[in-house]
Amino acid sequence: MDTLKVRDAKDVEEVVRAAIANEQPLEIIGHGSKRSIGHAMATNAVLDVSALNAVTSYEPNELIVTLQAGAPLADVLSLIDAKNQQFAFEPMNTAPLLGTSVSGTIGGMIAAGLAGPRRIRAGGARDHLLGAHAVSGFGDSFKTGGKVVKNVTGYDLCKLLAGSWGTLSVMTEVTLKVMPKPEAERTLLLRGLDDAAANKAMTAALGSPFDVSGAAHLPKSAFRAKTEGLGDIVSQGEALTMLRLEGITASAAHRAASLRELLAPFGTPALIEDAASAALWAAIRDVLPFASGGALGAWPVWRIVCPPASGAALGTQLAHETGGDVIYDWGGGLIWAALPPKSDAHAPSVRRCADAVGGHATLIRAAEEVRRDVDVFHPQAPGVAALSERVRASFDPKSVLNRGRLTRGPAA
Amino acid sequence: MAIMMPASDQAVLARRSEIVAALRAIVPGEGVIDSAAEMRAYESDGLTAYRQPPMVVVLPDTTEQVSLVLKYCAEHGIKVVPRGSGTSLSGGALPLEDGVLLGLGKFKRIREIDFDNRVVVTEPGVTNLAISQAVAHAGFYYAPDPSSQIACSIGGNVAENSGGVHCLKYGMTTNNVLGCEIVLMSGEILRIGGKSAENSGYDLMGVITGSEGLLGVITEITVRILQKPETARALMVGFAEVEAAGECVARIIGAGIIPGGMEMMDKPAIHAAEAFVHAGYPLDVEALLIIELDGPKIEVDELITRVETIANGCGSTTCQISTSEAERNLFWAGRKAAFPAVGRISPDYLCMDGTIPRGALPKALARIRELSEKYQLGCANVFHAGDGNLHPLILYDANKPGEIERAEAFGADILRACVEFGGVLTGEHGVGIEKRDLMGDMFSEIDLNQQQRLKCAFDAQGLLNPGKVFPTLHRCAELGRMHVHAGKLAFPDIPRF
Repeated sequence: MDTLKVRDAKDVEEVVRAAIANEQPLEIIGHGSKRSIGHAMATNAVLDVSALNAVTSYEPNELIVTLQAGAPLADVLSLIDAKNQQFAFEPMNTAPLLGTSVSGTIGGMIAAGLAGPRRIRAGGARDHLLGAHAVSGFGDSFKTGGKVVKNVTGYDLCKLLAGSWGTLSVMTEVTLKVMPKPEAERTLLLRGLDDAAANKAMTAALGSPFDVSGAAHLPKSAFRAKTEGLGDIVSQGEALTMLRLEGITASAAHRAASLRELLAPFGTPALIEDAASAALWAAIRDVLPFASGGALGAWPVWRIVCPPASGAALGTQLAHETGGDVIYDWGGGLIWAALPPKSDAHAPSVRRCADAVGGHATLIRAAEEVRRDVDVFHPQAPGVAALSERVRASFDPKSVLNRGRLTRGPAA
Repeated sequence: MAIMMPASDQAVLARRSEIVAALRAIVPGEGVIDSAAEMRAYESDGLTAYRQPPMVVVLPDTTEQVSLVLKYCAEHGIKVVPRGSGTSLSGGALPLEDGVLLGLGKFKRIREIDFDNRVVVTEPGVTNLAISQAVAHAGFYYAPDPSSQIACSIGGNVAENSGGVHCLKYGMTTNNVLGCEIVLMSGEILRIGGKSAENSGYDLMGVITGSEGLLGVITEITVRILQKPETARALMVGFAEVEAAGECVARIIGAGIIPGGMEMMDKPAIHAAEAFVHAGYPLDVEALLIIELDGPKIEVDELITRVETIANGCGSTTCQISTSEAERNLFWAGRKAAFPAVGRISPDYLCMDGTIPRGALPKALARIRELSEKYQLGCANVFHAGDGNLHPLILYDANKPGEIERAEAFGADILRACVEFGGVLTGEHGVGIEKRDLMGDMFSEIDLNQQQRLKCAFDAQGLLNPGKVFPTLHRCAELGRMHVHAGKLAFPDIPRF
């Protein structure tokens, strides 16, 4: 294993150009916190951007921060938190789920694009990436976007970089939108709903004018007697439906009261506030019930995105077929599924259930031998897959960047 | 015409009658227009300084027809310019002499309203406002609200990534669309995304949005809808100095308040608007801010107080707060009518659309004043101040020799200044032909080549809307060529582990 720790964009260009000349693909890493997501890459050369870790500029009044791609996510979150700001899309910390010691870099956050509960209201990483400097698979540095929120100058290549898992370009510097942290948060808790009723309650809440910024459901589960991070809120595996309201204090309290009335047909919700609420949503964001150190730590975990009102039907069916456990976020539009260990991680069931409602599923946690035989990323319709491949090749024709990570194929 | 369009293909023009007949075989009846008189309606879009009749107009009404038209054109090397309602301010739908103008105006049906998933599935010819109207009975609306929303089509909104007054809080088109059906230049029909929050694979919807009709023709769109805020109130605040108004904007954002809309007008714009709509604007101020807060009443009332305090702290000279919907609408009436109001005081005007960092606002205004002196042309300024999006309106008279050229040079200098101050050439109107030749001021050749390679992935022949966005066209084969450097794996300096 040869690891090249680049110091600037010129280094990245040089390494990529040599990789092209030598037909030697590169694995692109920051801290490597999400290396276990995707297929094993056909390479033993590593391009490490973790030394590109500077904060280029942070302008709280402009609501933007410009960072080198290797800047540690945790440090950046502290930096903007000190100015009472945040990334509104609530980037997931994958460390507990994947059992890594670090939470990764800004580049990894964007390349994975794993947004948390507030995605339903604030969008994902793709909606907050305003501009980027990157090195393509041609070995050339290019820029796209800018440092302002409102910009339609040229194609929005930022959208492609977000969620590309390092297969299009090596990002070197990015500009992200930051948003003020809400003054207060309130969460309403409904207990004992089955998945279908919970899905209806979340749909009602999200269809209300009360500006719900989180809608999640933990079904009744035999596996969840103890989950770190959820404390006393989840006891004895009882089902819990949670709805979050954020904003200035008077408004959050007012909307919580209004939403409580709206939810009366589903029961009488309990209320938690601020720090207790924040801890709960962090646990949902990071999928702590399926943490690698927990009771289901050895089980494969899927992330399924689907039309939100179809969530309960999909999740119930999948749990029933496989004997697994599911968690709903995004009002039902995101399902985390931990399924009992099996050589194919129940892929046929997962993909059939997802396809039935127009959703898609990604195998986020699984042993390497499972990932060898199962498509980690959801197979696409042939025309879309062909277009995606042409798009990939337009950035990296020799496929030197993270070759083989997204699609299963013959090793190169 | 100052902008050069790609040379017309004489071989295609020579075959015009054969092409018209072939298109008639695909789209029967009124759907193919080839008489010079009838085609006049299509010779320009909202950028009326540029006109060019197309070779032929085709108005299909099914996806299959769109597919067959594109396939025929691809096979015969014929250029195609897609068009929605023709409200583009950057010339995105300007026809080509040797091109087919493909109008999507017959795609007027909303296909599905799904309140449980909070989406509307619509055809591209439906107007922006019609989507909001179709869901209003249930309290929903479609958030992006470009000023042309009565007329502009949702397909055009996706092509241009349209914004609007409220995009500071609710995002642009790209933040509010989930999926589409798109026909590639080859005729291939693809479905991207759907009712889920995210696509699988690369975010193709994200890059199709704002691609100005160069990547494909959209035949169906899935948009997100939101519940209307419970209430909205506005403040109208006047300042004796533009700098103070800029400072006020910065402090509001700095205090963690994201208004639904935050607009600024300078003195010439205030005077023009007041003379037109009599909104009660103060005439003795240098800058006027209209700040709208929306949400639950309790929140709006609280934020109004906070914003008023900030405005006072910045030395505001007048401050009115709306106490009724009628009053709020009156505050907005002048701003919304600013363009026609300016049209009354000047025979012609050019509307620019740069974005700058909010903090650069006073600097940008000072530069615009200098340029106004230099070019001896008036300029009224309206801004989406909250997100730094400037709309300088350059006043000129097309009947006076040389004025349009001076106005265009003035506009180009403003946009170059936006880039110099850390901003961009266009915030919401698109590059089109209008800013095409300025792309090199913002992007290097390498940056632009990467964008054009993406174009090649969608349209390898370069037949869809050529001459827009990119100042120089390259062949895809040339762009794809890889310059392999000497194969040494030395990196003597790079740390290894």
